[in-house]
Amino acid sequence: MSKGTVNINVHHVTRVEGHGNIVLNATNGKIEKLQWQVPEAPRFFEAMVRGRSYEDIQTIVSRICGICSITHSLASTKAVENAMGIRVSEQADKVRILMHYSEQLQSHVLHVGYLAAPDFFGVPSVVPLVGIAPDAVKTIIGLHRLANEWSDLIAGRTTHPVTLKPGGLTKFPTEKELRDLQERLKKCLPDLKVVAEVVLSVAAKIPNFQRPTEYVSLKQDNPPTYTFYHGEITSTDYDGAVAINDWKTVANEYVCDQSTAKWTKWHRKSYAVGALARFNNNAELLSPTAKAVAKMFNLQKGCCNPYMNTVAQLVECVHVVEVSIQMIDELLTKGIKPETVRTSPKAGKASGCVEAPRGILFHEYEFDRKGNCVGADICIPTNQNHASMQEDFEVLVPQIIDEPEDQIRLKLEMLVRSYDPCISCSTHMLDVQFVR
Amino acid sequence: MASTDNPSSIRNNQSTKRPTVVLGLGNPLMADEGIGVCLVERLAESLLDYPDVDFLDAGTGGLAVLHHMAGRRKAILVDCAYMEQEPGAIRRFSPDDVRSKKVLAHQSLHDADLLRIIGMARELGQAPEEIVIFGIQPELIEFRQGLSVTLANGIDRCLAAIRAELDAQ
Repeated sequence: MSKGTVNINVHHVTRVEGHGNIVLNATNGKIEKLQWQVPEAPRFFEAMVRGRSYEDIQTIVSRICGICSITHSLASTKAVENAMGIRVSEQADKVRILMHYSEQLQSHVLHVGYLAAPDFFGVPSVVPLVGIAPDAVKTIIGLHRLANEWSDLIAGRTTHPVTLKPGGLTKFPTEKELRDLQERLKKCLPDLKVVAEVVLSVAAKIPNFQRPTEYVSLKQDNPPTYTFYHGEITSTDYDGAVAINDWKTVANEYVCDQSTAKWTKWHRKSYAVGALARFNNNAELLSPTAKAVAKMFNLQKGCCNPYMNTVAQLVECVHVVEVSIQMIDELLTKGIKPETVRTSPKAGKASGCVEAPRGILFHEYEFDRKGNCVGADICIPTNQNHASMQEDFEVLVPQIIDEPEDQIRLKLEMLVRSYDPCISCSTHMLDVQFVR
Repeated sequence: MASTDNPSSIRNNQSTKRPTVVLGLGNPLMADEGIGVCLVERLAESLLDYPDVDFLDAGTGGLAVLHHMAGRRKAILVDCAYMEQEPGAIRRFSPDDVRSKKVLAHQSLHDADLLRIIGMARELGQAPEEIVIFGIQPELIEFRQGLSVTLANGIDRCLAAIRAELDAQ
């Protein structure tokens, strides 16, 4: 086939969560069709929760995802509490953040080690990596296992948490369990550095591609925090902050023909969310070792190479472990005190927001005076990234159109993977009007 | 990080580590593909009779099987398997008795070859000393809840075979 004439149709990109297709048809360098398509079926969660009690919401919506189930549970629980004016104790808030960090580590390690790394080593999956880099694979597996057990301890289980409830938690870890966890976290920091060094050794495989992009994430000024949990919405194009309840003025979701997931836009045609977005908005607030890891890769604020999202995730792995060690100290200093939580329903409508591993997540619910849900709207990080992925395609492909087809295909697949998409989370309830 | 007040039970990803683990594998939404999960749920009803055994629904976890097996002396894996046998037949074998014919699409981490994962665990030095697999030949693999009549009628026979393995320890 002549240079610049390619026909790529990747039906269901591998090593991502969910289903997405890459289509590129070009003749003699002229691009005829270039699409990132999402064919995933709608999930209907926003319909499922209607009529359900405010106490049931987090259990149901945690099922949106198996990787980020804790995140969905936290966002929905915050929304319920905001809607009903339910306050949470300082210790419950801290333990929830600890729970949230466990999922960041688990998800990022899974993505960096199992999903992205095979591309850096030229293999189809993590299984052949055992023969190439056995110590690195062992370390990744150990970190993943630690993260799973950390989630298990705080959330009750790794997938679909059981300890969250409006107003607090159903069970707190004991002080001994927190001390044991802290010891294991301290021991895993050197392992994370080893993983960083392995990824650095193949960093030349990370394509060098830049596209000026708007990056959206949470920002917390009081106190200044590299935040995954509290704060307001900001972006690299916006000096201020938007209240969580006004998230729709940020997302501006719209339906797109090539995707069952909606697209979003704010100050530009698209925006990106995720680890690189958080880094670009908050890097100066990273923990010391996390900053050192970023420096290893020369990752700096202002980076607009989407492939570097994977490196930003690695940096965040180190950060969440370091800050968790400190957070456990704070909890142990005050001691874990028993709590009894009683809530009463009332009518209300509000949003809850947290940073999922792959980006900012919004849950919004409305309840009647009996506490039954009458409406829901969920905006997922991956659906906020789809338009950005399409724009990346449109800028990248002309730059590489004369390369061999296999290389173009690989670079496009790696681009999709770098966003760590959770595609089946991102499809949305349809809202249709019959015209015949 | 064993939490001493967590009793052993059929739960995913629990943190207690007893010397033997029985893993039920498969997808209950795909008819006979769910036989492994179904059998382990039934076995777990007698969990108090087996104080050294954890019973886990490992579902379609793929690589997660590595985590479940690590730190154990023995792993018993129960799964639907194409073995060129009559539907409903149950065979006990070790990973070394068989060769995998499975072709992976590498589509996701759930798309896994159990025998390769066992091989991976061995290469990493994280495999139990003893691994036993109970394969059950399916009759029906399709989107459906509930087993085929053939496998449903054979549940007691399968349970007896696995209990005999546990009782022989």
